[in-house]
Amino acid sequence: MSTIARCRPSENPFASHRIDAINYRPQGPTWNELLADLERLQWRAAVVGPEGSGKTTLLEALALRTQSAVLVKLGGATTSPLTAAITQLPRPIKARHTVFVDAAERLGTLGWWRLRHAARNGRGLVATLHSPGRLPTLVQCTTSSALLRQLVRELAPADAQGLEPTLDELFRRHGGDLRLCFQELYDVCAGRAGGPAQRWA
Amino acid sequence: MSVLELHTAGGDTWFTPGSTVSCDASWHLAGEVDRLELRLFWYTEGKGTQDVVVVAQRAVERPESSGHGSFRFRLPEGPYSFSGTLITLKWALELSALPGEETARVDLLVAPTPVEISIQGLREY
Repeated sequence: MSTIARCRPSENPFASHRIDAINYRPQGPTWNELLADLERLQWRAAVVGPEGSGKTTLLEALALRTQSAVLVKLGGATTSPLTAAITQLPRPIKARHTVFVDAAERLGTLGWWRLRHAARNGRGLVATLHSPGRLPTLVQCTTSSALLRQLVRELAPADAQGLEPTLDELFRRHGGDLRLCFQELYDVCAGRAGGPAQRWA
Repeated sequence: MSVLELHTAGGDTWFTPGSTVSCDASWHLAGEVDRLELRLFWYTEGKGTQDVVVVAQRAVERPESSGHGSFRFRLPEGPYSFSGTLITLKWALELSALPGEETARVDLLVAPTPVEISIQGLREY
């Protein structure tokens, strides 16, 4: 198998700023169809899926395509999720605002209802969730080893050939969580001693 | 399209911690610009959450369509520019025309010596 060239963190093809720059690519419906579905659901909908399946990427892409979008991020919040949510909302919420909430599963039942109440005067509420139920499901995000291979080819064209033979196993080992796959691939390219690089080199 | 330019005095990009960075900014603005912002900041790239810390900021409110200005920033004593296994820490100056996304940027090396500090080899000791 090819040896992967070791590189600095800022040049690592799997550095987080490069992963964050990946655009969501609809796996079935087109953007126009997704936006039409949102309209049909009166802008109250959920993007559902497990960790690392692209929910946040899709939510951010939807927010970018929506006028007066308010993006509320609860992942990694240092305060309580409800406090984090309320502090990120504009005051007052106006009829033109659509609130996009990332990691809404972090809110308990009471917090979720308070957030819904706070956003009630807006145009809509779209949230990412691990499981369906709180809002009608707009998209069920899934991943595949084919998608992982495609993204690896885009992110690391020079290394893709060397990485390719192990991607299926990597995908299975991380249960389809692409974020974890990319973190391990980062380590491979960083040449971290004692880490997966030894398995790959 | 607006044209923004940013240069450090003498084209220097290496600065010792605690020293002063002098820079010249010039602009030719197309369309309505409310404010020009010049930011001195550091940020990380690598694995995990990206950190961005704005250390100092200057603003030109309601700028003329063309203009220029000179600015000075005193650098703090740290953090140094460095590159390790998990992250690289970089410094930069950035000029932005707001609202909008047009920017001009100069990357800086902030360290006691003109070479980025590397901590890659620490594990060998």
